[in-house]
Amino acid sequence: MHAERKNTIIRMFNVSKRYGKMEALSNLSLEVRKNEFIFVTGPSGAGKSTMIKLLYKGESASSGAILVDGMNLARISRKQIPMLRRQFGVIFQDFKLIPTKTVFQNVALVLAVAGLKPKEIYPRVMDVLERVGIDDRAEEFPPVLSGGEKQRVAVARAMVGGPKIVLADEPTGSLDPDSAAHIFQLLRAVHEAGATVIVATHDQQMINNHDGRVVRLEKGRMAREN
Amino acid sequence: MLIFAAKRALTDIVNNKFLHIVSIVTIALSVFIVSAFSLFFNNATDFLDAWRTGVRVIAYVGANVTEPQRTRLEETIRNLNGVSVVEFISKDDAFNDLKQKIGQQSSLLDGLDKNPLPDSFEITLTDSYRRLEDIEKLSQSIGGLPYVEDVEYAQKWLHRFNGIYNLFKVTGLVLVSIFFIATLLIIANTIRLIMYSRREEIEIMRIIGADEEFIKYPLFLEAVAQGFLGGVAGILMLYLAFILTVPNLAPETVFSFFEIRFISVKFSLTIVLCSMMIGWVGCFFSIRKFLKL
Ligand SMILES: Nc1ncnc2c1ncn2[C@@H]1O[C@H](COP(=O)(O)OP(=O)(O)OP(=O)(O)O)[C@@H](O)[C@H]1O
Ligand SMILES: [Mg+2]
Repeated sequence: MHAERKNTIIRMFNVSKRYGKMEALSNLSLEVRKNEFIFVTGPSGAGKSTMIKLLYKGESASSGAILVDGMNLARISRKQIPMLRRQFGVIFQDFKLIPTKTVFQNVALVLAVAGLKPKEIYPRVMDVLERVGIDDRAEEFPPVLSGGEKQRVAVARAMVGGPKIVLADEPTGSLDPDSAAHIFQLLRAVHEAGATVIVATHDQQMINNHDGRVVRLEKGRMAREN
Repeated sequence: MLIFAAKRALTDIVNNKFLHIVSIVTIALSVFIVSAFSLFFNNATDFLDAWRTGVRVIAYVGANVTEPQRTRLEETIRNLNGVSVVEFISKDDAFNDLKQKIGQQSSLLDGLDKNPLPDSFEITLTDSYRRLEDIEKLSQSIGGLPYVEDVEYAQKWLHRFNGIYNLFKVTGLVLVSIFFIATLLIIANTIRLIMYSRREEIEIMRIIGADEEFIKYPLFLEAVAQGFLGGVAGILMLYLAFILTVPNLAPETVFSFFEIRFISVKFSLTIVLCSMMIGWVGCFFSIRKFLKL
């Protein structure tokens, strides 16, 4: 029991999220152990994105408790939210890169935010850019990159801070199969390096091709777990 | 911390060249218009002031006043508040002066068997004592002195002038204020639009764990820098316009007593400071509104 608790990194208990009358999540409970690889799946509107947002406190739960690495998200103050978010690397379907910053600057921002000095930032950013195979485009701006390249930059940004948890919301949703496979390979590598990875996707192919726990949501409720 | 924020502000300005140029140009044009108005009204008031400097009070001395009495009177007038120069003009001087002014027609005066003009004092006022009420009061006290027959000070003319002068000042003040407020709104709006266009970028920074200070400092520095650059550019534009147009107005030949001046260094600095402050305030409010920081 004790060992199990120690291994838990995320605990959601009876979590609900309402937007007005619309209930996006209803009484969801979930425990995630350290270094798990989890797929969150389900039809459109099931609440996958909502669940991801609640975890990094992009939104707050309407009721229930969420604990991330021992922190109760309902209890942390506004000032503590940035610290919480630095525990995560987050990847989105629409990449969310800053178009006016270079690839290098986009990735470096994570470390600048955490207070690292430029001298420390440079080698770490170049290292992750190399690992995702985009180091030769470091000085380009995102708009000139292909979708697959943009998402690799986003993965690099999610990795660079060495986060405990990587959240990915439809990371391959707007990519061709080859690029999608490449992104999954990178997520695997992040997982093998020790991070807990949660991927929201309805790409059944990807789920079948990879090991990992699958959590299925339907209308905001847990439908099936295996 | 501040150095890093400044560095980030600088890369930010480079990365968002277009937005920054738009807002600097907006600020520069607004500053140009406001300071051009101030320049015009400052000079117009100076011009009217210079004109008014010509106003003198004339005190006519009674016919049977002896020289010692007159000297004492001169002394008394000189010691009055607001009097700067007292010049005695004897009736002979006045008569000669009149003759000269009339020139060719001086034969008209030949018919007079004796000089009809009185002795007089021409009184120039100190600079701080040129308001209409001051002049009136002074004239009254001079008129009340012994041996003074009459006092004259271009009464009607001054009354009319005073009306124009005040109207002018009020119009100037109102126009400058209107432009100032318009400028404020334009600049604040530009900054707002810029913030709005950057809200996604700022949202992204938050998701990756940026705290409020990290996001805010560069934005404030940028807004203040924009205010500074826009203010300086606006004043330089005005200066350029000034040196290009003013010599062509040839004022020295038209009004020998008046020289068109550029706005003072102090006023220029105030304008630059104001536009920096507007940058700051505009940033403050748009951050509150769009970033909910
Ligand atoms: N900000 C919001 N305001 C109102 N309703 C919202 C908001 N965000 C999500 N919803 C609603 O909550 C429900 C769950 O949305 P969510 O985005 O989590 O679904 P999803 O599983 O990610 O779907 P998809 O696969 O299409 O991305 C939807 O019905 C959606 O309309
Ligand atoms: Mg979604």
